[in-house]
Amino acid sequence: MLHVITRRLPWLLALIVISGSLAITDGYLLAADTLVVYSGRAERLIKPVLDEFQTQTGIHVKLLSSGTTDLVNRLKAEGERTPADVLITNDAGSLEHARELKLLRPLNLSEVDHAIPPQFRAQDDSWIGLSGRFWILVYNTQQVKSDQIQSLLELAEPRWKDKIAIPNAGSEYLQAGVSVIKATHGDERTKQFLTGLKANAGPHVYQKSSQIVDAVAKGQAAIGIVNHYYIYRHLNAQPEAPIAALMPDQQEGGMGAIMNVAGIGVSQYSRHLDSAKLLVEFLVAQAGQRFFAELNKEYPLRPEVQADPALVARHSFRVAMVPLARLAELREPTLTLIEQVGLR
Amino acid sequence: MEHWTDKRTVASPSGDPPVSSETIVELRGISCAYEPGRPAVSDISFAARHGEILCLLGPSGCGKTTILRAIAGFEPVTGGSITLAGQVVSSPHVLIPTEQRHVGMVFQEYALFPHLRVAHNIAFGLRNLSRAQRQVVVEDLLKLTGLTGLERRYPHELSGGQQQRVALARALAPQPLLLLLDEPFSNLDPDMASRMRQDLHDLLRRTKTTAILVTHDHDEAFAMADRIAVLHHGLLEQFDVPETIYHMPSTPFVAEFVGQADFLPGVVLRERVSTEIGEFPNLKRLDDGSSVVIMIRPDDIHVVPDKSGTAHIVGRQFKGSENVYTVQLPSGELLHSSEGSLHIYPVGTAVKLHVLAAHTVMFSDSRKGAEPKLTDLR
Amino acid sequence: MVMTLRRTLSIPLQWITVPTTALLVAPVAYITFLAFHGNAAVWQRLWATRLPELLWNTVALAVSVSVLTFLLGFSLAWFVVRYEFPGRRIWEWALVLPLAMPTYVLAYVYAHLLGMGGPVDQWWQSLFGPGAHMLAPHSFTGVSIIMALDTYPFVYLLARGALLSLNVSYEEVSRVCGVSPWQTLWRVTLPLIRPAIVAGLALVVLYVISDFGAISLLRYQTLTYAVYQQMTGRYDQSAASILSVLLVVMALVFLVAERWFRQRSRFYQTSGRYKTSERRRCGSFGPWGMTAWAALVSSVAFGIPAAVLVYWSVAAIEQGALDARFVGFIWNSAFLSCLAATCAIVVGLPLAYLASRRPTPLNLACLQAAYAGYALPGPVAALAVLALFTAFIPFLYGSVVILIIAYVIHFLPAGLQSLEPAIQQVTPNLEEAGRTLGLRTRQTLWLITLPLIRNGFLAAWVLMFLQSMKELPATLLLRPVGFDTLAIRVWLEASEEYYELAAPSALLIVILSLPALLLLASKDWRTA
Repeated sequence: MLHVITRRLPWLLALIVISGSLAITDGYLLAADTLVVYSGRAERLIKPVLDEFQTQTGIHVKLLSSGTTDLVNRLKAEGERTPADVLITNDAGSLEHARELKLLRPLNLSEVDHAIPPQFRAQDDSWIGLSGRFWILVYNTQQVKSDQIQSLLELAEPRWKDKIAIPNAGSEYLQAGVSVIKATHGDERTKQFLTGLKANAGPHVYQKSSQIVDAVAKGQAAIGIVNHYYIYRHLNAQPEAPIAALMPDQQEGGMGAIMNVAGIGVSQYSRHLDSAKLLVEFLVAQAGQRFFAELNKEYPLRPEVQADPALVARHSFRVAMVPLARLAELREPTLTLIEQVGLR
Repeated sequence: MEHWTDKRTVASPSGDPPVSSETIVELRGISCAYEPGRPAVSDISFAARHGEILCLLGPSGCGKTTILRAIAGFEPVTGGSITLAGQVVSSPHVLIPTEQRHVGMVFQEYALFPHLRVAHNIAFGLRNLSRAQRQVVVEDLLKLTGLTGLERRYPHELSGGQQQRVALARALAPQPLLLLLDEPFSNLDPDMASRMRQDLHDLLRRTKTTAILVTHDHDEAFAMADRIAVLHHGLLEQFDVPETIYHMPSTPFVAEFVGQADFLPGVVLRERVSTEIGEFPNLKRLDDGSSVVIMIRPDDIHVVPDKSGTAHIVGRQFKGSENVYTVQLPSGELLHSSEGSLHIYPVGTAVKLHVLAAHTVMFSDSRKGAEPKLTDLR
Repeated sequence: MVMTLRRTLSIPLQWITVPTTALLVAPVAYITFLAFHGNAAVWQRLWATRLPELLWNTVALAVSVSVLTFLLGFSLAWFVVRYEFPGRRIWEWALVLPLAMPTYVLAYVYAHLLGMGGPVDQWWQSLFGPGAHMLAPHSFTGVSIIMALDTYPFVYLLARGALLSLNVSYEEVSRVCGVSPWQTLWRVTLPLIRPAIVAGLALVVLYVISDFGAISLLRYQTLTYAVYQQMTGRYDQSAASILSVLLVVMALVFLVAERWFRQRSRFYQTSGRYKTSERRRCGSFGPWGMTAWAALVSSVAFGIPAAVLVYWSVAAIEQGALDARFVGFIWNSAFLSCLAATCAIVVGLPLAYLASRRPTPLNLACLQAAYAGYALPGPVAALAVLALFTAFIPFLYGSVVILIIAYVIHFLPAGLQSLEPAIQQVTPNLEEAGRTLGLRTRQTLWLITLPLIRNGFLAAWVLMFLQSMKELPATLLLRPVGFDTLAIRVWLEASEEYYELAAPSALLIVILSLPALLLLASKDWRTA
């Protein structure tokens, strides 16, 4: 019976190979004005900007949304065959890591140099920060008074047992934050902090920051660590929610707020360099900055663009003194530390 | 411990049914219907005395298995009643669950539990006994059924005959009031079947077990039964001892079903019935001139080669111990005759017929005026 | 003549089967290699930190879901096969429907409904006061129940098939032996259909230990989830490899145990001649109780989530969620699933054929190796394929080909389950009979062989199509740019907690799966 099937097998295989290669070449033979964007940002927070870019320039944008680390791994694996032109992430450490792997192309754009202060860019302009985000404490106003806590490190104290909500260890922003704490306070205190954090959080380890805010709003947890914008997103939806934000470590001699940036880099192997540069310029321009930052209530990095007035005023708090670029080198030891402590 | 062993010592040697007047099971006019208005069996009545072996005989679809299942309690009855040891167990308003009826059953395909070893299969219905007592009963039954040494086997590791004996042992183990056997030999090859038949008969006699056996094979029924109930289309045609069933069938169907039979048309003339091969006594006192058919079995007729004979041999079937000749009468009717193994006559031989019957079996022709034909009677 | 034909055929076929087997096995071999050549410190780190917890979580979940699916699946199968109750025919079908509902969809619907502050939770608190919760979807109990609701049809279908083909004489014998119906159930019926139940539970356990979507949405830490986390959270893949290998070993141990058990109980199969039982009515309340039970299970496992999806979808469509991209997602899903199912058939057919007709050690080994994919959860399949191809054939990375290969490795075993018996059905005798009746080879193929194997093929294809349609982790990790499928859309939106926006894609997966599912269920699943 296989007689006929074996005779047809080559045809079947050919069919498969053809359709497969059609799908491959789809990645390469994109129209000249198509831009492939790898984005580690939630699709909702990037798609509208890219749509706007497409409308203004006529450049078609193809988007691949995934985890940040996953995308860097992917760029690495694809090497010079990558279809990606641009990488956008929510973590400067990942961008710096991609730079070190020579996956990103240094840009030399005067527009960028004017717009974004140098501390928010790679030293060779391989990546450019677009918006700032801060670790913030969200607390339930019925359970906690704002003067009960000043520093993140206090969350490890026994009095917060079973009262705190934290993100899971897989999230880049947690890793970056711990890196900052580690760089500021050293391994031993960081380890103590994480051990206490783990003990106090118990089961309240969340996948998403929105869930943490939610848990605090419902009183399941008294206080939680999140990126600042989640609290505003929640208050927007439910203005009555009994939650408030607290910028930690602002006390005398304190570490300062933990900052990370969302940023963009152009792939070393981009075949649409001009379009990619156009996108970068679009995003650092005043209009682009406003649009990009406002989508998620982040702080625009271009100094003259105002942040959303609902946010804590940018000039009212200090930022931890750890250069963003260091996040890359700190990452592996931080992950090891996190796993040693056994944070989930 | 009044089990097995005690009973066996008082059991009479195999042969005649044990003398007892105690009725174990009685069916009074029972009917069963799978669909309302279309009874599978109707108005069946018979009874079995203690130690008796009854046979329900009939072609497939006659309702014999339905009766067996009604006795076991698997089928409700729509009319009549079934009494087991004096207790009504089935009637239109009563249906005692199977497990409370104390009957044993051997299924056609034995239905041995494939996940249990032989010993556990046999002990399956002995949950109320202690472990030691169970062991004794099982060993007893293994001995009785000749299965000693096989108790650790699984059913699929046994031959057909062994499987049947395990099924039997399992059914006998709880000492049922009544043993029901549903075509127990149909899965065995003929040689094995006849040996098992003898064994089973002996076993039932020795254990004084009352049994009802369902079969479509008249030889089996004759070999096993004390009395036979012949069923046809859900009706009881005849209930009697095997000899009567064979020699004095009460309907043409019974006559044909329990052995080879030819039917010859005849006409009543006063005290006699006149047929092509001679005259027979008018036992049924039928009116003058009425049409009848006479049943003739091959062993009732003897052929003698005779040049002047009007009948001719048209066929011979050699059966080892006998020759069965097909003989054509001048009218074209065919008769069969059983002759000794060594009496060999060629086809075409002219013969005379000698009727040896000690009794005459005749049926009135059911359709007036019509020539009786075999097809009508079948 | 036929013999020689077969002999001449098998040589070129072997040229196909051996390389495909190699292709199927290579990725696993490669990650095993990576795992053992990795840094010993990584092993130590994992053992000291995550492993004990992950192993315990995985095993505990598998056990609790097995118990639940057994209770649900067997009780429902028992009722629909043995009893007559209002709406039985409808429930008989409705109870299979959860198979069309991806577990991650069920998980996200219930995470919202039952989660703190969700509609059900609020209603519960209004009844029993604040602080009362009906069931926390993220708890161990919650995860177990949600997984069980989605997987009980495996047990239900197989138990139902076994009960339908069970010779009722066994139970009658038991009753004749004076054993009550309840005792008969435990002493006779359950032992006799144990192979089917074990096969069903095996599917459940493999499903649970390899599930990624629901587990991650419910934040329950299993090995599979940890593999994904390690893969997406680290630049170095050695930890992911190690966890993968452990997962594969776990699944293999389980599979081998299951096979051993099945071999041992092979003789349980009842022979061709059997009597099936009739349906009974049970008391005056019994039928309504059964209806209520069937209705409860099928509505909780399918009806309610489907209704919620419809409700959310309407809201999402009003928000303009149905744009032109949506058509693309549907096309991508259908295209990938069709291609994967077809490829798997093309790859699986020679394997099954050779193993059945020329059971040489080599051919049998090839078939067994193809079954190894059973022990390969989605993220592991993805990791394995990714690792192998980036190391040796990097230009395929980011193409559909690599995704299809991962699908084939992952789903071929399920297809082989249907293909193998279908091919075994066609004994050489049948073909030879055809030849003696004067048919030519080609006519034999069309008139005898193809009609005989058609259903098995169809079932295999449909099964693999369904699974590819729902597949999440491998698609997530390997999809080419611009190749989002419906499953990806559900996951992207649901994991951002945009429940409504995830609904249309989820609903579409369900709708597209339904016809295929009903086709499969109508075959009674006796082959599985």
